[in-house]
Amino acid sequence: MADAAPQITEDEFRRLADFLYRRTGMVFTEAKRYYVERRILDRIVATSSQSFAAYFAYLRSGLRDEVEHLINAFTVNETYFYREDHQLACLSADLLKERVATKKPGDAIRIWSIPCSTGEEPYSIAIWLLENWKDVDAYDIEIVGSDIDTRVLDAAMEGVFGKRALMRLSSELIGRYFHELDDERWQILDDLRQSVRFSRVNLIETKETRAQGRFDVIFCRNVLIYFDDESRRIAAENLYDSLLPGGFICLGHTESMSRISPLFEVCRYSGAIVYRRPQELRA
Amino acid sequence: MSDVSRKRILVIDDAALVRTYYRAALEARGFVVEEALNGLEGLEKLLLEPFDLAIVDVNMPRMDGMTFLQTLRAKELPVSGIPVLVTSTEAKAQDLAAARRAGANYYLVKPISQEMLAEYAAMFCGAPR
Repeated sequence: MADAAPQITEDEFRRLADFLYRRTGMVFTEAKRYYVERRILDRIVATSSQSFAAYFAYLRSGLRDEVEHLINAFTVNETYFYREDHQLACLSADLLKERVATKKPGDAIRIWSIPCSTGEEPYSIAIWLLENWKDVDAYDIEIVGSDIDTRVLDAAMEGVFGKRALMRLSSELIGRYFHELDDERWQILDDLRQSVRFSRVNLIETKETRAQGRFDVIFCRNVLIYFDDESRRIAAENLYDSLLPGGFICLGHTESMSRISPLFEVCRYSGAIVYRRPQELRA
Repeated sequence: MSDVSRKRILVIDDAALVRTYYRAALEARGFVVEEALNGLEGLEKLLLEPFDLAIVDVNMPRMDGMTFLQTLRAKELPVSGIPVLVTSTEAKAQDLAAARRAGANYYLVKPISQEMLAEYAAMFCGAPR
């Protein structure tokens, strides 16, 4: 998002929240302001509106289902199972193949999902490996999901998901790895819940990232973009520190580590571009 | 496909992902699958309910697969006679021999494909091919 994007005043936010409440029943309090504002600014840009007032008028006119677009903007950023599955394909086809080349059967393979939000990503990794990696029983796979927000971690541990989160999974996969609670909610199987360990971690607190140990592969998608330059640099150093030499980090598809830190080397695979902590030089 | 309906298998492995992987393979073939997280829990389940086969990992906390096997084989029949398939990442001849001595019916080295696991399970459950 450009810095030049129009700002939203308190009064404008209140009027918009009021409008959305009347139209959708969704309540957006001042506490959610940052969350709401980011998405509104995205829609202002997307509709080429010149100002908040112009956008608000457009929204109220009901043209081109803008209310629906705005609501979607609030929800499509919620994550879902098998999001960016080309990276998962890269994990099973390329990254793990390289990692196990230095290991023997029975050794640990550690994978970190940060931020993990309500668990869709770490559980997706578990399901993907069960479905697509033939060595899944030959290594001690440890998947860790971390987030700064303890509320999402509680939800992740509960492992209950709605239709939207499962939209990319086939009914066969849902049948295999979830049990249906009711028409709208599915809970992930106990064994899968136990296969992921969740922990609260702030990515820019070095002592917290260090406490998680070192990983073979880290998924850190769509979070560095929300940091300022200084925090981003610290986060990149912490991530580097959290990788085993030769370990990989996967970012969101719009993100680039090269712009953030010179510590990593770029690796291009058929399915994805990932970054790697270089192997330590041998004397 | 073999008729294995109602044949009961106990999967004993401390890794949740591995239990899920084996369960998916076996349930897809019609087996009824129960799980235990270590040898001790495995013994408890075998003493409480009838099973046609136990599939047991070697390296586990609390009670490992070899101790589980020795303890099981020392019990009274019929529970001591349950077929046991040992799974392990250890592929050396001495590991295989140790499992045989402890009373294993067969030894499979991980990684084990889902097809192979289901085939061996059907064989040990005495299901017609």
